[in-house]
Amino acid sequence: MKLEYLYPELGNLYGDGANMRYLRQCLPQAEYIETHIGETPAFVSDPEVSFLYSGSMTERGQGIALEELRPYAGDLAARIEGGLHALFTGNSMELPGKSIDAGDGALEGLGIVDFRSRRDIAHRYNGFFLGNTNGIEITAFNSRFSHTSPGPGLSGFARVTRGIGLEPDCPFEGYRVGNFIGTYLLGPLLVLNPLLTQQLMASLGAEGLPARFTEALQAYEARLTEFRDGKRKLD
Amino acid sequence: MEKLSFYFALWSAKAAQLALRIIRKGGTTAPGKVALAICPDFLTRIGRPETLIGVTGTNGKTTVSNMLCDIFEAMGMDLVSNREGANIDAGAATSLIAAASLGGKCRKKLGVLEMDERSAARLFPVLKPDSLIVTNLFRDSMRRNAHPEYIAALMDAAIDRGTHLILNADDPISSSLAPLNSRTLFSVDKLAQEPPARENLVQDVRICPVCGERIVYDFRRYHHIGRAHCDSCGWHSPDPDYLLVAADEEAGKITVMESRIWQEYPMPSGEVYNLYNTLAAVTLLRSMGYAPEAIAAAMERLKVVQSRLRSEEIGRWQLTESMAKGLNAVACSRNFDMVSQTPGKKAVVLMLDDVFDEKSSSENIAWLYDADFEFLCDDSIVQILAVGKRCLDTRLRLLLAGAEAERVIAVPKAADAAGQVKLEACEKVFVLFEVYRHGQAMEVRDAIAERMRSA
Repeated sequence: MKLEYLYPELGNLYGDGANMRYLRQCLPQAEYIETHIGETPAFVSDPEVSFLYSGSMTERGQGIALEELRPYAGDLAARIEGGLHALFTGNSMELPGKSIDAGDGALEGLGIVDFRSRRDIAHRYNGFFLGNTNGIEITAFNSRFSHTSPGPGLSGFARVTRGIGLEPDCPFEGYRVGNFIGTYLLGPLLVLNPLLTQQLMASLGAEGLPARFTEALQAYEARLTEFRDGKRKLD
Repeated sequence: MEKLSFYFALWSAKAAQLALRIIRKGGTTAPGKVALAICPDFLTRIGRPETLIGVTGTNGKTTVSNMLCDIFEAMGMDLVSNREGANIDAGAATSLIAAASLGGKCRKKLGVLEMDERSAARLFPVLKPDSLIVTNLFRDSMRRNAHPEYIAALMDAAIDRGTHLILNADDPISSSLAPLNSRTLFSVDKLAQEPPARENLVQDVRICPVCGERIVYDFRRYHHIGRAHCDSCGWHSPDPDYLLVAADEEAGKITVMESRIWQEYPMPSGEVYNLYNTLAAVTLLRSMGYAPEAIAAAMERLKVVQSRLRSEEIGRWQLTESMAKGLNAVACSRNFDMVSQTPGKKAVVLMLDDVFDEKSSSENIAWLYDADFEFLCDDSIVQILAVGKRCLDTRLRLLLAGAEAERVIAVPKAADAAGQVKLEACEKVFVLFEVYRHGQAMEVRDAIAERMRSA
C-alpha cells in the first residue's frame, strides 16, 4: 500500500500535515510518498498508490497547485473512477471543482467534480463543526475565506448537525465521489475523528486500530460532548 | 461639525481617563473606545508626536517596544507609548489621548507604539509612523490571521509610502514588505555556539516569493528564519545593514557589524529570538542616528519583561515561567526548543488553552499539530503535565509526538497541577503559559515554589 501526499510544501497550513503523519503511524507498513511541485504525481503511473492527500494552502499556493495538477486532471478523474481513496482538506477541496471565483478573477478548476467555489478574502468564516457521515459523528473545525455551491447530484461528505456546510445554507459539508472525500474541514481531521480513521483504514483493507486509539477516542468523546452543548457558540 | 465631534470625543475620553485613574483602573482601552465611538476618524485628528515609531510583527513586538521605551527613558527622553495598554486602534488612541493637551496636540516629542499586525489597515494609514519595525511574520492564530501571506498582503496595502522600515533580513516574508519603501535590514549570523537547526513542522516559506519554485536554504535557524535563495530565478534573502556576528552570554555582550565596523552592545537575554529583538531595537536606534556608545550605555540595565520569562533558584531546583502564547505554534515551538536545550532533568507544566474559547466555545486545536511537541520528547524531560480543559487533546498530541505515556499526565484543573509535579525526579521545572493565563499560571508557579521551599 502506498500513501501519497501531494505538494506538502503548499498544502500544510493549519495542522493539516498531521493527517498524513497520523496515517503513517496508523499504517506503519505502508510506503509514504511526497510529491513536490515540478514532479509527476505518483498516482498517475503507480496503481499501488491507494491513498492521496492534499491539505490547506495559501491562495497563491492553491493557484500553483492547480497548475501543477492540471496536466494530470484526466489521470486523477480516472483513478477516482477506479476507486482511489483520497482526502482533500481545507481549500484544497476546491481543486477538483469547475471554478474558483477569487473576486478579482476566476480560476479554472480541474473540472473533475461538479461544484463551483467562490472566495471572499475580506470575510473569513471560523467555527467548529459537528456532523454525521456513514453513521459516525464528525467533530472538526472550519476556518475559510470561501464557500462552494454544489452541482445537482453531488453527494455530501457529512450532514451538518452544527456549523455550516459547503455554503451557509447547504445541509451537507464537503463532497464524496466514490472513495474521494473533499472537505472544508481542516486541521488534523483524522486525529480528531478516530472512528473515521478506523473506517478509512478498513476501507483500505488495513487491519488493526488507529494509533493511540484509546487516547484519541477519549479526546474525541470529550469534544463531542462539548460540541453537542447548545450553549457553546460555534466560534 | 466634524471638528466638534473630535473635541467632544477627546474631552469625553479624557474625562473617562481621569475617572479610571481615580478608581485606579489603568491599563484599559476604554478611553480610546469612547473616542473612536464618538469620532470614528479620531486617530487621523489627534495630535501625534513629532517622531512616531511603530513596532509590529507576529512575535517579539511587545519585547521590542518595551526595550525601546526603556532605552529612550534611560536616555532621559519623555515619550508616549502603549506599553500599559493594547496594541489595537483603541489602545493607540488611549495612549495618544493621555499624551494630548485639551486642544488635541501631542505633548510628547517621541512615541513608541506597538501595533497589532492584524490591525494594520486601521493603524498604519492614519498614524503613518516615521519608522516601523517588523520583527517577523509567522503563522499565528488561524482565526484572526489566516496565514502569514495574508497578513503580509494586509500590511503591504496599509504601510504608508513615507514610513522607513526596519526589517528582518532573515525572514523572507516580512523582508519583502512594501518594496518601494526605504528600509534598514538586520540579520543574526550563524553563531559559534548555535546548536544545529532542528526540523520544524511549520516552515512557511518553501517556495520562491518571486517565481514559485522550491527554494534552497543556505542556512535555516528555525521555521522559515534563515538565509535562502532560488536557483530558478536568482531571488535571495536581502543583505543586512546590521549583522549580529557574536553573542557572548558570559560577558553579556552582542557584537554587531555595520559597514564593516564592529560595535558591542549589552545583551539583555541570550535566547536567539531575543537576540533578534535586541538587534531590531539597535537597528532602529542606529537608523535614527543615535551613536553606538549612547545606545550601549542606555541598554546597560535592560531586561526582558519579567512576566514573559523568569527563572528563580529555589532550594535545589530552578523554577522557570515563560509566556508561550496559545494558538501560536511558532511561539510554543520556540519555548519547547528552549526547554529541551536546557541541561538537566526537567518537568514541564503546559497551560496553553485559550481562555476565551474555554468560556464560551471550543478551541480549534489544529495549532497543536503545527507546534513542535516533538522537542519535548527526550529523556531529559521526565514529566509533562497537560493542564486545562484541553488536556486530553494535548496529551494525545504529546503521545503522537513520541512522548512515553507514563511521562504525560492530563490534569483537567489547574488547581491540581502543582501537587502532581514530581519534584524528586527533576532539577528544573518549567511553567509554560498562554498570555491570558498569566494569573492562573502564577498561582500554579507559586504553589510549586512553595513545595520546593518546604521540601
